[in-house]
Amino acid sequence: MKHLQNANISYSEIFDEFRHPSSGAVVLFSGEVRNNNKGREVTHLEYEAYEPMANKMIEEILVEAKSRFKLNQAECVHRLGKVEISGCAVVVVTGAGHRKEAYDANRYIIDKVKNEVPIWKHEFFADGTSEWGQNCDCVTDEHEHSHHQEKAE
Amino acid sequence: MEKRLIKIKCFAGLRKFFGSETTVLVEQDSNYAKVIEALQLLNPEVTEILSSCRIAVNEDFVQLSETIKQEDILFLIPPSSGG
Repeated sequence: MKHLQNANISYSEIFDEFRHPSSGAVVLFSGEVRNNNKGREVTHLEYEAYEPMANKMIEEILVEAKSRFKLNQAECVHRLGKVEISGCAVVVVTGAGHRKEAYDANRYIIDKVKNEVPIWKHEFFADGTSEWGQNCDCVTDEHEHSHHQEKAE
Repeated sequence: MEKRLIKIKCFAGLRKFFGSETTVLVEQDSNYAKVIEALQLLNPEVTEILSSCRIAVNEDFVQLSETIKQEDILFLIPPSSGG
């Protein structure tokens, strides 16, 4: 699917193709897998999605952001399956006439994707346990705290 | 009142409790909230998680207060944790 893939995300390739004669600013955000979370050592993540809906929602978020922030281009690709430490889990690229729109739109898109799109992270820890994650790092003021966390066996 | 069988697809942490797919019986004119209630009865351990879930039909979220239409498969969507 256009916005979801099992293979590694080559953000340098996406970035290289992100040229537009009206764009004076291109911003790339890469969400990468950390080796720790809340004091615990993380070995890797696995992502699952309700794929057709997630793909559709990401497309809708991009279309809305392009209009809202007057972007020339916007792209977002999210990984599915196993992602190793330092692997790219999600990339958002935005291109606009000026940097403010490109930065603001990029932040808007990643926040919406993280909070609204049906994609789920399964975190695996060095002690052999795993948990279905939640995005409660409270980066957005309007973020609703309706999360759950379940220990996997 | 006549009841109908509703299939529910489950994702992420909910699969541990319900598998990838489960079914519940609800009354014909139930709303989507009744499906959540039926699932809570099926497994009270997940009551809290279920209260933060949404339901999607045909790749769109529905309001829990809406009456279930003719669709037979619902998608139970736990809070997102992508990125």
